[in-house]
Amino acid sequence: MAPVNLSHRRTHNLLLISKLLSLRDTASPLTLVLDSLEQPATPLLKEYIRRAKLSKVHVTLIAFETLKQPEGVDAFISTRRKSTADIAKEVNAAYQPAAASNPSRRRLILIDSINPLLNSKRVEPGFHLPSFLGSFIAPTSASAKVDASLVVTYHQDVPEAPQPNPYTPSPISVLTYLATSIMTLHSFSHVLAQKAARDRSLAPPVFGLEEEQEGILLSRLDRLAGTGTAEGIVIELEHRRKSGRGVLEWYLLPPASRYSPQHLKEVVTLLDDNVLYNPPMEQDTAAGDEEPTSTFELGLTDRQRREREGVVLPYFDAQHGDGPGEGGRILYDMGEEDDFDEEEDEI
Amino acid sequence: MPSQPPLPPLLAPYVSTLPDSSLTLISSILGATSNWLVLRFLYAALSSASPNAAFGLDELQNGAKKKVVLVSFMRSYDFWKTEAKRLGLDLTRLADKKQFAFVDGLSELFYAPAATATPASVSPAGMGSSPRTTLPMRSPPGAVPGRSPQPVRPTATAVRGNLAKPAESGIAKKLHFTGRGLASLDALEADISSVIEQQKSSMEDGDELLLIIDQPDLLLAATSPSMGIGATEMAEWITGLQQRAHATVLTLATDAPLIHNASTMSGQLATPIETEHAALAIGLAHRARSVMQLRTLDTGAAKDVSGVLRISRGGGMITEEDNLEEREALYFIQRDGGVKVFGRGES
Amino acid sequence: MSFRKRNIGLSPGVDRNAVPNATAQPVPESTPGIRPSPDDGRPTTSTGTRSLDNLLAGHAGLPMGKLLLIEENGTTDFAGALLRYYAAEGVVQEQKVHVIGVPEQWGRSLPGLIGSAESLDEKRSDRRKDDRMKIAWRYERLGEFGAVAGSRGAPTTPGEQDAAAKEAPAFCHAFDLTKRLTHPSITNMSFIPIVPSKDSPFPAILKRLETAITSSAADTIHRIVIPSLLNPTMYPPDACQPANVLQFFHALKALMSAHTTRVTAMITMPLSLYPRSSGLVRWIELLSDGVLELCPFPHSADAMATSGAATSQEEPPQGMLKTHRLPVLHERGGGSDQNVGQDWAFILSRRRFEIKPFSLPPAEGDTEAQDASAAGGMPKKSDLDF
Repeated sequence: MAPVNLSHRRTHNLLLISKLLSLRDTASPLTLVLDSLEQPATPLLKEYIRRAKLSKVHVTLIAFETLKQPEGVDAFISTRRKSTADIAKEVNAAYQPAAASNPSRRRLILIDSINPLLNSKRVEPGFHLPSFLGSFIAPTSASAKVDASLVVTYHQDVPEAPQPNPYTPSPISVLTYLATSIMTLHSFSHVLAQKAARDRSLAPPVFGLEEEQEGILLSRLDRLAGTGTAEGIVIELEHRRKSGRGVLEWYLLPPASRYSPQHLKEVVTLLDDNVLYNPPMEQDTAAGDEEPTSTFELGLTDRQRREREGVVLPYFDAQHGDGPGEGGRILYDMGEEDDFDEEEDEI
Repeated sequence: MPSQPPLPPLLAPYVSTLPDSSLTLISSILGATSNWLVLRFLYAALSSASPNAAFGLDELQNGAKKKVVLVSFMRSYDFWKTEAKRLGLDLTRLADKKQFAFVDGLSELFYAPAATATPASVSPAGMGSSPRTTLPMRSPPGAVPGRSPQPVRPTATAVRGNLAKPAESGIAKKLHFTGRGLASLDALEADISSVIEQQKSSMEDGDELLLIIDQPDLLLAATSPSMGIGATEMAEWITGLQQRAHATVLTLATDAPLIHNASTMSGQLATPIETEHAALAIGLAHRARSVMQLRTLDTGAAKDVSGVLRISRGGGMITEEDNLEEREALYFIQRDGGVKVFGRGES
Repeated sequence: MSFRKRNIGLSPGVDRNAVPNATAQPVPESTPGIRPSPDDGRPTTSTGTRSLDNLLAGHAGLPMGKLLLIEENGTTDFAGALLRYYAAEGVVQEQKVHVIGVPEQWGRSLPGLIGSAESLDEKRSDRRKDDRMKIAWRYERLGEFGAVAGSRGAPTTPGEQDAAAKEAPAFCHAFDLTKRLTHPSITNMSFIPIVPSKDSPFPAILKRLETAITSSAADTIHRIVIPSLLNPTMYPPDACQPANVLQFFHALKALMSAHTTRVTAMITMPLSLYPRSSGLVRWIELLSDGVLELCPFPHSADAMATSGAATSQEEPPQGMLKTHRLPVLHERGGGSDQNVGQDWAFILSRRRFEIKPFSLPPAEGDTEAQDASAAGGMPKKSDLDF
């Protein structure tokens, strides 16, 4: 990849992820976060909450599996034993944009896991997922004109209950179709292990449930062999622009302990810029005009190089000797500095 | 072989300090059961001697007493009593001191013996109702409130003349599954909650209540989705109980057929029992703070190893900085009930 | 570690001596067919198959209150033979046998009594004495299931033992499959039919079992025998709904734990209809205290010759037996049993169902290895340590 291309990509795509995570310009009304037990979405959700706090965005958490209100969440809505209509009503009631104390007109709605809702045996027969999600983004009442961003987490490893109507698309297909951005999360250490295997043309390793080993749900161990201290989340982002074009990029979100909660600058980097993922030695070979430094002068002048190319090494001729015994001769052209004695020396 | 300390040092940090509103998941399989680990949790919470001077971290527990409510769906009180005695815990005495309460989910859950139950409750609904009735969700709501507050203990001890009476004395409540659908789950929840509240009534500030539910997945397996009980409903049921306790420990089965048959990769059509179980187990792992996975040795049985214990972080959102170290260790259960936990290559 | 000890250890006379040493537990000592486990003193009863008794994690019998599930692959009925031995043993010990789901003819086809299992074993060991002397002593320990039991009551001479065997009632009997059992208490068996109904058939069964157990005298021992559970020719189609069968298992477990010193149960299940890889079967296994799987070899004569006959004198095994879970041992966490992890083979002959370590036949001409494998199995390292 040409360096120009990379730096172009870097500028654009880092701006994009920054916009998405900080909810600027309503870049993505509906973000779908696909996580798994190997890389849960909680660190990413925390990052969303952290940034929302910095820019004073109102945060609502619709809790299908969270027990207690996490830090930084303004409205915590438990969904236990509630109908979807009630949930929607409560979410819309949780935020009053008219309040003077709240100058911001932006709000973030997080759903910690959509799977329980999709698998529920209790949902009303008329439940319609697109309109349920849509009711958060575009509230029906005219007074509430806020920019709402919805972030929905979906656990990929939780199996889906079979559809009552076999012809309707599965919920995950619906979600991926509706979402403006899809973030698939991977564990950095696993990505590194898989890359290392690919670089050696080996089958990439699988982790956790994919191992299909009896009794194993999770494989995440702190020190995965050979990856050192690889911490962080790899985000595979698929974003649909307003123009309709798609963007695909891989990012790395460092662990929250690496920066202060008030940190303003962008912490996310491109995965390709990471030294562990792309070791820097490749950079050296690409940069052609720099010489390795040494105490010796290893360079040649043009003339020296021409002369060096003109030298015919002795064994060149020796290779096409025809007769028997011809092969091993040493051919030597006498120079003026040779002190040749006819009687003693022989060739 | 020397006798082992009741709490193996390697295990102690994982079973003795459970943060507020945390969920710990213990997963077991057919050949590697979890009862011994549950007993270590009991021991860590209930043993009167301060939990080992070796761990200086435990100064939190000065004065603060822990109480335990154990709900067991697979084992009788006799079993827990006998096994706890091997560790030096007298459950009956602890129950008298209101430090421990046992909720019996085995003996009368699906079939109440005619002698103990009133004639009214031996209705067909109490004896494993069939899922093939035409009206699945119509349970008479009146049956539930009538059922739950009924004190079971006096009748039970009075009639079971030929049983050892002390066995009954420690049982706080026997659970009954009556009716169908959510109403029956609610009744169970009410029963368990009443025991929890009873325990809490004698608690002082700083006391912690640990709730251990042994194999709630049985409820899911032995009912059916057509009765309106699925993974989501079970998970909500657990959430409801979790909210009342300081920390919760759950045991679940994670045998390969129950987890992997439902994954899309297996290619075959999964039965509802498999789909729902996988959804419950994986969904709970997403909520858990830590997942303790038990399995048999990958290399086959060995004489001095019972199985492998892997402790991983779950997907749960933990508000404060939580330093749970992930690790994998072997364990060995001796004939005398002592447990040795050691790393690979150690002994 | 000599072959003699095996006989001593399992004889009832010796175990009577062992009772005071065992951990105190209310054992109905006078009850025939019940003896304390050599492992922890809990009461056990015989399955009617001695080598199966010895397989059960050092208890040398099926502990009371426990449920043993025997699964079988294929179309054979080896599990049925085990079940008949179990029922016959119950009849001979004058226990109350409840058979579920089969007509009364099943009771008439129980195998005939030959005598106590010890007496049969003695004959066999006499016959085999010469063979055994050739075997290297260090292999002798292998395959002796009775070793645990034997070590308890060592100080008896063979003479005393014989006398004891005469006066004491036997724990396990030997039966002949070709004969029919005639015993006064055979009429005492109860057969619980499966009532065809729209609902689950199980509550009715449970109710009958429960009444039978609670209404009987406190010292009556019960055996619950369920042949070929969920067999579609016997059970209504709805029976295999998890809500029905799993609730039944759970309730059965509850019933047995309520009368923990008086009931045992053995259940067989056809795996060809309900494979082990299904979630339903796994839950049934999880609800059982012991799980054994029988994998019969394909019964062609050729296969017999190559599939593990150790020597020409021994009968070729008819299949493999896998132990997935053992009563008590796995409840407490598993591991630590000498029998766990072994490969077992079984041989059903006219007079016995024998379970022994499985070994692949040695390579041709390797006579040394052949001798070794005659004693059974590849030796484990610890057995070879001196």
